[in-house]
Amino acid sequence: MSLTMKNISFIVGMILLFLILWGTGYLEGDPEGYTGFGETADISPDDEEIVFIYEHEGESAVYTAPVNGGNAELVAGASEGNSLLNPTFSPDGGKIAYVEQWEDDDEQQLGKLMLIDRADGKIKEMTGGEGLVTEAAFSPDGQSLFFLEAGVHTNYSPIASERPHEFDIYRIDLDTEEMAQITEKAAYDMSDLDLIPDGEALMYRNFDETDQLVFHNLEDGSETTVIPMGDFAVDEPIISSPALSPDGEYVAFSDVARTNENGTYIYEGYRMDLETKQVEQITSFGEHVTSPVFFNNQDKLIVTVDKGFATLEPDYSYWVISTDGEERQRIQIEIP
Amino acid sequence: MNRIEKHVEEVLKQTQSPDGEREELREELLSHLNEAKSNYISAGLSEKQAEKKVIAAFGDSHIVGQELQESMYPFQRGLLYLIGIVTILFGAIFYINLIFVMHEPTPVWLTVQLLSGSVVTLAAINIAFVGRYFYLLNVLLIINIIWNGINLALMQSLSQLQAMLFSIYLLILIGLNFLFVFRNSYYSANQTDNKQQKQGFVKFSYIMNLLYGMIIIFLSLFFLWSFLVFTGISIQALITLIPILIWLIFYKFQMKLIARKPALSLATGLLVSALAIMLSFAILRFSFGGIE
Repeated sequence: MSLTMKNISFIVGMILLFLILWGTGYLEGDPEGYTGFGETADISPDDEEIVFIYEHEGESAVYTAPVNGGNAELVAGASEGNSLLNPTFSPDGGKIAYVEQWEDDDEQQLGKLMLIDRADGKIKEMTGGEGLVTEAAFSPDGQSLFFLEAGVHTNYSPIASERPHEFDIYRIDLDTEEMAQITEKAAYDMSDLDLIPDGEALMYRNFDETDQLVFHNLEDGSETTVIPMGDFAVDEPIISSPALSPDGEYVAFSDVARTNENGTYIYEGYRMDLETKQVEQITSFGEHVTSPVFFNNQDKLIVTVDKGFATLEPDYSYWVISTDGEERQRIQIEIP
Repeated sequence: MNRIEKHVEEVLKQTQSPDGEREELREELLSHLNEAKSNYISAGLSEKQAEKKVIAAFGDSHIVGQELQESMYPFQRGLLYLIGIVTILFGAIFYINLIFVMHEPTPVWLTVQLLSGSVVTLAAINIAFVGRYFYLLNVLLIINIIWNGINLALMQSLSQLQAMLFSIYLLILIGLNFLFVFRNSYYSANQTDNKQQKQGFVKFSYIMNLLYGMIIIFLSLFFLWSFLVFTGISIQALITLIPILIWLIFYKFQMKLIARKPALSLATGLLVSALAIMLSFAILRFSFGGIE
């Protein structure tokens, strides 16, 4: 073969290789979007129903389903391309609040607080949509909603992924729609807003170098931080998705129980007695357990298990567990 | 051009000798073959028959040329092929990984990776034209080192096992590149007149000077990375790459100096390397008023 032929065949070969690889990538295409359950679920005041998010190929909707499993019922869908998260029942079970998030034209993440009246199916936007609302909690009297709004959605360094930051807590009155800012912290990370049963204090998770469980007195704005005492696999306290029990005496959360052979943290459910701060482990799934919610009238909780944790896509399922950790059952949900 | 001259040209096409050396080889081969030719003619053969005989006795031009190349620059062409193909192969394997495991294929990355490998392979194919420019070859391979060094940094975001396997692969590739650049630099200066002892020292000096270069590349890429992390993507980020450019230009002259004055070049290499780093650091400080 002459030198020219050698050069030509090599270059043609490389172009072919490029086209084949590029074409394979192109045909494989964008992933179709997530299909599966959302991370959090809430239980109705009568302990009969759960509310959750289900996504089908990236299309997000709020559903309810019997807590014993069965057919799901569509409550509300998202506008195209938007995603829904963190649905929660009102104290009388008549309303469901949730968050709708989307990216605007400048790729800025935004989120608004939505409220649906289950009696007539009417959906109301509670916030304007200029900010990034992440979650909400009803006051025990059902008169107002407390919610978290992030000031920015960014990465402080290019090697970190973009996340919401500069959080503060707000309250909106459901009758007058009057809004009030509760905190002025512009916190790096805040989540898992909850109210104590008498409605006089808020509980939330704050991240300030480490995870903190904070109680915020609504009367005078004073704050107390609670540190759980227990036997965890990592020294630094990790208080993931804390939730208050209906009597306000316990906090359930998930924390690292151990590290598996790949070096991935295994999170299990824990329950802390707020009086003694003593913590006991209540699950042993050996998988990623998150987002516990207490039943209102029984010694049970719902937890989310993520079988896809530390992989590219989560794979959530909801489980009912007893507080002593003896029983556990997956809620089998049929999506229509 | 007669048949013998053509044959000699074919032989020379397989070697990477620079112009002077090529001319010497040509004369030597021609005189040798022409002498054989006159012998045949005096034995009673016609001119054409004599030429045919000489060529047949001399052997296939491809094989003789390759043997000549291997005796003067052992393994260099094969090494070049190896580096090119290993680079291309990495592009294919990693791109398939990007498609099916990471689900985010980046055609731009693939283009650069395949180009980088193709350039090296093409240099190996066309060794007679490219090989005589030793400095050019070094630049091509140092660019390959830089690019795969960037790849090495990217691997750290993968899962543990993948990161380890791909990193080992890339380190081997960078090692091969380094080996080639060292040998190529060494061959670039004709060493035949030097004593054994001095040759050892010259080799040492080449290795040290290339190590300076590696350190400069590593530091510059690290500066670039931190620059991007703290200030985002901007054209000023390229300032961090100035030391690499300075060192590359400097190495063009240094390559020859090392062969003549290995001890002195150890010092000049270090000096220029340090100055290059300091210069870029000074520009950065000057234009940004210090790090806040």
